[in-house]
Amino acid sequence: MKITEKYKKILLVDDDIDLLEQNKLLLESKGFDVVTAESGEEGYNTFLAEKPNACVVDLIMEQHDSGFILCHRIKRTELGKQIPVFMLTSATYETGFKFSSATEEEKEWIKCDGLLNKPVVVEELISKLENF
Amino acid sequence: MAKILIVDDEKGLRLGTKRLLESEGFLVDTAENGTEGIAKGTSQEFDLAVIDLKMPDIEGLEVLQTIKAKYPNTVCFIATAYASIDTAIESTRLGAYNYIPKPFTPEEILHHLDIGYKHRKLLLEAERLRQEREVSLLEISYEKSRLRTIINNINEGVLVINTNGELAYFNNAALKNLDIPDLIIGEFVLNKIPKGISEIVNKYLESSEAIKKSYSTQVDIKPNFELVIEANCSPIVDEYGKISGIVIVLRNISDFKKIEMVKSQFVSMVAHELKTPVAAVSGFLKIIMDESLNVSYEQQREYISRSIIRLKGLLDLVNDLLDISRMEMKTKQREIEKLDLVELLNSTIQFLELELAKKGIEIIKTYQKENIYFNGDQNEITRLFTNILSNAIKYNKDKGEIAIKVFYSTNYINVEISDSGIGMKPEEKAKLFQEFFRAKNEYTRGVSGTGLGLTIVRRIVDSYHGKIEVESEYGKGTTFKIQLPINN
Repeated sequence: MKITEKYKKILLVDDDIDLLEQNKLLLESKGFDVVTAESGEEGYNTFLAEKPNACVVDLIMEQHDSGFILCHRIKRTELGKQIPVFMLTSATYETGFKFSSATEEEKEWIKCDGLLNKPVVVEELISKLENF
Repeated sequence: MAKILIVDDEKGLRLGTKRLLESEGFLVDTAENGTEGIAKGTSQEFDLAVIDLKMPDIEGLEVLQTIKAKYPNTVCFIATAYASIDTAIESTRLGAYNYIPKPFTPEEILHHLDIGYKHRKLLLEAERLRQEREVSLLEISYEKSRLRTIINNINEGVLVINTNGELAYFNNAALKNLDIPDLIIGEFVLNKIPKGISEIVNKYLESSEAIKKSYSTQVDIKPNFELVIEANCSPIVDEYGKISGIVIVLRNISDFKKIEMVKSQFVSMVAHELKTPVAAVSGFLKIIMDESLNVSYEQQREYISRSIIRLKGLLDLVNDLLDISRMEMKTKQREIEKLDLVELLNSTIQFLELELAKKGIEIIKTYQKENIYFNGDQNEITRLFTNILSNAIKYNKDKGEIAIKVFYSTNYINVEISDSGIGMKPEEKAKLFQEFFRAKNEYTRGVSGTGLGLTIVRRIVDSYHGKIEVESEYGKGTTFKIQLPINN
């Protein structure tokens, strides 16, 4: 099955409307359906309403940990447990935390299925989805 | 010239001896009985004294004792006609230098006094040496206690470790800097001090050749920068070039570390804030360049104009950062002059007219006097008003209003700027003056800014020793209350 069919609908959450629109455009050009949200709260509501096949969540939005909390909330739902949820971040810059060298225990605690470096490269997302 | 006291109740002998001794160059005083002898012998110090043993009032031995008690260095002779071994022993036991049997010839007494005077000089020399030694001992112990007091009271911890790794010296600050309750001189300490330090000490102790360089290291004694020390280790090299111990000086650098952390957090925040608009612009440009995306001409124009807005934001941010940096380095030349705050507020409002008109905002001014003067730098005060007023516009509602009040109180000029805007939640208000904090809620979408405006405001107000307070109600509006000290 083509990746765009397996993960047809993707939820993008980012408070930077320019980056949000660019990523939406790029993903749509590859054949995905994209729904967007601009905050943690809106992101969760959109997730519940739209039931996406994958999520990409920016880490720092209205609060420094908004993306973090959204990942946790999504992963607590039945659907959230089944679909890939990626966190979008230039994390070492922003938090001082080296996600790339996180231990298994830490990854468990982070509650997402992978990290995407900002600005997101669509190819990177696709390869992550293929390996999920 | 030797001073001598003759104590004798026999007048002839007394005067004869006096004459004899004076002719030999002595300074002679006489006493005719024991009472007078004690009075004279204790009122001033004589070099020598010749005391008759038998006197009607007081015995010669008692006179001897009394004088010796007062002046131990007066060399005393007992003169006696009843010379016996017993009295001789008794008198020397009580402090007499010797005894002179009566009657005596001039040669005999001069011989005795000559020897006695030499003895007196030795006694005085011994006394001088003893005093000298006491003074220098006093000085040494004073010097020692002074050094100890200094070392015990400096903030820097000092540890001295010998070549066996045993503690030779430490001060109070060392205990504090290492967070150790106590140390004992002579105990093996390499397992008690932090590993980073003991590794350096071992390097000195294990090297076959004496290392003469100093090494330093930083150790986290308590986490979260609560206690960070810098240890400076230097060898003590003896006269043969061998290491006889290591001095470790410990300095508490927690505060430096905290500042360093704040700085590096600031740098990473700045990096993030700079990176985001660059990413947005470069994203738009890549989309426009990508022919496969087939972006329409209108869409391309929109992306370019949005890029321009992001670039303007980036430029504003860089300018704000430069301002903050100039304020911090105090390189900004201040030109303090007499300013009319009313005039400055009016010209700032004029400058912002376009933005005010766009939102249809009305300004209500209440100035206590026609001119309100303040001594300050025109650029800074204009910046202060511009930043607050442009926030009052940006975060206001359409057709809202801004009330500006300027009035005097006891020591301050008060400037209050209220808007009828979106207000702040208490948690947003708490972070208001933090660098890069920008309220993000349902109302703030599309409001641009660097996140540094109020940081700059706070710094300007602080630099004039003024005060700034904020009152806000979410959804209703915000009031900034600035107090500037009356200074002219």
